[in-house]
Amino acid sequence: MQDPRIILASAALLSLAAFVSIWGAALALIWWLAFTPRHRLLKNRPALFVMAALIAIVSGLASLTGGSGISYFIRMTVILLIGAWLFAGLKEGDILSVSVWGLGNKGFEIGVTAEMGMQMAYALFEDCTRIRIALNLKGQDWGIRTIQPAGHLLIRDALQRAEDTAELLAMRGYRDGGTLCPVFHPQRWDAIGGICAAGILVFAVVVGVSEFFILYR
Amino acid sequence: MLVLDHITARHGPWALAADGYFSEGIHLVTGDVGSGKSTLALIMAGLFLPEKGTVRRERIQTVMLSSQFPEFHLTGLTVGEECASWGLDAEKVIRSTGLYITAATQSLCLSRGELKRLHLACALGRPYDLLLLDEPFSSLDCSEKERLCTELSRQHEGITVIFTHEQVIFPRVDRIWEIVDGRLTDCGDLPGALERWRHAPSLIKKLVRAETVPENLTPEDIREAACRIQE
Repeated sequence: MQDPRIILASAALLSLAAFVSIWGAALALIWWLAFTPRHRLLKNRPALFVMAALIAIVSGLASLTGGSGISYFIRMTVILLIGAWLFAGLKEGDILSVSVWGLGNKGFEIGVTAEMGMQMAYALFEDCTRIRIALNLKGQDWGIRTIQPAGHLLIRDALQRAEDTAELLAMRGYRDGGTLCPVFHPQRWDAIGGICAAGILVFAVVVGVSEFFILYR
Repeated sequence: MLVLDHITARHGPWALAADGYFSEGIHLVTGDVGSGKSTLALIMAGLFLPEKGTVRRERIQTVMLSSQFPEFHLTGLTVGEECASWGLDAEKVIRSTGLYITAATQSLCLSRGELKRLHLACALGRPYDLLLLDEPFSSLDCSEKERLCTELSRQHEGITVIFTHEQVIFPRVDRIWEIVDGRLTDCGDLPGALERWRHAPSLIKKLVRAETVPENLTPEDIREAACRIQE
C-alpha cells in the first residue's frame, strides 16, 4: 500500500475492530496476511517478539485470575502486528502530509510533532541495536546487569536528541505553524484495502453488539 | 589470517569489491570519504553481510571493531562502568588517557574528543586477534594522534587494520591497501607500497618522485627521507 491516508485509516479501523471482538481480530489478521509484506515485517524484529511475550504474560495472568486471557492475547497480538505494519510502512513526512491534508495548515504543528515522535521511535530502535552490537563486541550479553545502564543511556540519548532538535528549530528561527502542499498517489489496491478494513470494523461492531444482546437476554 | 574472498557490497549506484588476505601485522586501508572503508570494516567484523563472497577468519578468536563514533560503544553510564564493561581497571585506563576525569564522571558528559580518547584507551587495553580501527584519528588533536601512533606501532600480536583518510600522521605499518574506484587494491609491503599508493599524501608523493622513498610512514621515517633530499 502506498497512500499514507489509507494506511493510517486502515490501521485505526483494524485496531478498533480487533479490540472490539475476537471475530474482528480474526478478520484483521486475514487482512494483515493479504495486504502487507508480512515476511519482511517479522524478519529481524526482536522487539516485536519481546512485546508479544509481554502480552502473553499479561494474558496468562488474566487466564489464571478467571479472565479471558486467550481472547486478550489474540486481540492484542493482532493489534501489535497492525502496529508493526504501520511503523514499517510509513515514510518520513507521511504523517505530516496526512495531518495537513486533514486539518489544513492548522495540522502542520500536529504533523510535525507526530513526525518527531516517529523519528524518536526509529532512533530508539537504532540505539538499541547499537548498544546490543557494542555489548556483543565487548563479549557481553543482554542481562539484568547490562539492561539498567543501557536503559539509562537510551533515555539520556532521547532527551539529548529532543534538546538538540529544539535548539536547531530555534536557531533556524522556527516559531510556529507552516505550510505544505501534500501530494498522494493512491492506487487501486489501496482503495480495496481501505474498503476491506472499513468492512471488517462494521462486521466486528455488529457481531460485538449482537453478542452483547444475546448475553444480556 | 583474515581472508576476503570475492566480497561485493552494493547500495544503489555505490558498490565495493574486495579480495585479499590480511596476515599478522598492521595494515593501513585508505580511501576517500565515502569510498567504503567503514562498510569494509563492518564486513570484516561480521556485522554487515556482503551481497556476495565470504569472509574467512583463520585462527581468529577475538574481534574488536572500533567505530569512528566513540558514543556507539558506550554501554556504561559512568567512566568507571564503561571501563568495567571492557573488563578493564578504570583507574589504569584513566591514567593512560591523561584526561582530568574520575571513575564517577558521567560518560555522556565527556566531549567527543575525550570520549574518543577513553574509547581508544579501552579498545587498546586488551589484546585482540583482529583489531579493526575505523578512523581512529578523527576527533583527536595532533599530539593525541602522535601518541596513538606510538601506541599502535607497539602492537606486535594479531592483525590490526586501520581504516583512515588521514594524510599527515601515521603509525608504523606493514602493508598498505587502497580503495580506488570501488575496489580494494593491495599496494603491498612497505616501502615498495609507497610507490604504488595512488592517493598517497602529497609529501610522500614528493619524496617518492625525488627517489628518496621513506622506510615507513612514521614522522621519523618521513623526516629521515626528507633529510636525504637536502643532502
